[in-house]
Amino acid sequence: MALSREMQSALRGVLVMILAGGQGERLYPLTKRRAKPSVRFGGAYRMIDFTLSNSVNSGLKRIYVLTQFASTSLSRHIRRGWSGLLADDLDEFIEVLPPQRLTADRFYKGTADAIYQNLFVLQDERPERVLLLSGDHAYKLDYGDMLEHHVHTGAALTIACLEVPRESATQLGVAQCDEQSRIIGFEEKPEDPKPMPANPDMALVSMGVYLWDTKALAQEVATDVTARDTKHDFGRNIIPSMVERGLPVYAYIFRDKKVDKPAYWRDIGTLESYWAANMDLVNLVPEFDLYDGAWPIYTYRPQYPPAKTVHPDLTRVEDSLLCDGCIISGATLRRSILSPGVRVHRRANIDECVVMDDVDIGEDTKIRRTIVDEGVSVPSGYQIGYDLEADRKRFVVTDSGLVVVALGAVFD
Amino acid sequence: MATVLIVDDDPHPRLLYQEYLSDLGYTAIIAANGPEAVEIVTQGNVDVVILDIAMPGMDGIEVLSKLLDINSQLPVILNTAYGAYKEDFMTWAAEAYVTKSSNLGELRKQIEAALEKRGIQVPPQPPQE
Repeated sequence: MALSREMQSALRGVLVMILAGGQGERLYPLTKRRAKPSVRFGGAYRMIDFTLSNSVNSGLKRIYVLTQFASTSLSRHIRRGWSGLLADDLDEFIEVLPPQRLTADRFYKGTADAIYQNLFVLQDERPERVLLLSGDHAYKLDYGDMLEHHVHTGAALTIACLEVPRESATQLGVAQCDEQSRIIGFEEKPEDPKPMPANPDMALVSMGVYLWDTKALAQEVATDVTARDTKHDFGRNIIPSMVERGLPVYAYIFRDKKVDKPAYWRDIGTLESYWAANMDLVNLVPEFDLYDGAWPIYTYRPQYPPAKTVHPDLTRVEDSLLCDGCIISGATLRRSILSPGVRVHRRANIDECVVMDDVDIGEDTKIRRTIVDEGVSVPSGYQIGYDLEADRKRFVVTDSGLVVVALGAVFD
Repeated sequence: MATVLIVDDDPHPRLLYQEYLSDLGYTAIIAANGPEAVEIVTQGNVDVVILDIAMPGMDGIEVLSKLLDINSQLPVILNTAYGAYKEDFMTWAAEAYVTKSSNLGELRKQIEAALEKRGIQVPPQPPQE
């Protein structure tokens, strides 16, 4: 898209802040030793790569990543994969920002408190606008389109929203809009989500992508810090309060223009949604296309030799993603994703699995609907995902029967 | 009786405010710098703080964050001669902003508003002279 001069200048005035400070309880045990945005996704990537790629592909190259817990892996990933992509001398940067404890001597009490405690960054940078993002969503959005909408509506805050069936909106923030896309009601995790005016079966949910006028953001978080009865959360407190006070809060409705329907967006912050979104990638025509040259997803790629398959008489690979360094020697793979350096030995059968770096899967193993964390060695003959009662004694098993073999898992 | 803490490194406004507020019926206590103010607020029993910004060492902006970290509900009224601070995001968590001047009516108004908002009794109006 050719941008007008006005838009080019507006883009330069946007500072990106990615909130990567959650503990990631919903993704435990994958978050045992690493911050959620640093969890592998799609074999070769880490979750934060999608948000960062969106930013860079949109021309937004001044980025702070706010961390709080277990950020070593995330910092390392950003240093290796991202720092080199941007030019310091052109005022482009990705800076990992752990809590500075300058404003308050406490953990972030909520998303709004995380910004309050980092107001000094906005004071120093003086951006015209701030784009607040999460590091655990998979989607491809040109934030420039959103900025254009924001400028034209004159919003103090624009929230990217997605149309979803009403029944799947109960765990999200639901916005009610007028015809000009102005938000006139906002509820976090409502039991009975309000429908869209034009379609009673659908609701409009927040994607956790917020474009703010800087002064409005500073004002809201500074006021929130001294307010009573607040969880210091944008979705639960600040947005409903702004809407109630009649401030100009607008929705940017995220649609796939080519096919004129709601675009792909997934919260990948729970074990179930994480696994399901990974499975979206192996479909014949994936809803989320990693092979789109017009919207590259950048990451750090460790040095590994190419993936290799041997023992053609025994090897069968069906709808799967194999990263560099993998060796499949006489095994069957179906709808699975293998991160770099995975070895799968003879007659192993891997079905709908997400397997992370350097995992070794022994001979004659059978594994299904399982996430295997980094460096795990599954002994020969072992079965996972077939007897969930047995699995529950050693591994994490979710309500839907998804098994997670954590880092350092012990087999007997 | 409502207690007001006056924080200023300059003794003149400190004493002026203390006398004025005592006359209005407040318990007016003083601190000459940030660390003193932090110590007094940590002990509790302060209802409103009048805080100067330009102070040597720990400046008022830093003191504001520290006081709110101790008690996020504490009303802190910033008091300074320099209007430019109003543009500093770090001051926006303050309850109110009063420009230093010899007319203390605005300061009084803001103290009363902060107390009323929190349901704390404002001292009764002293007799007119």
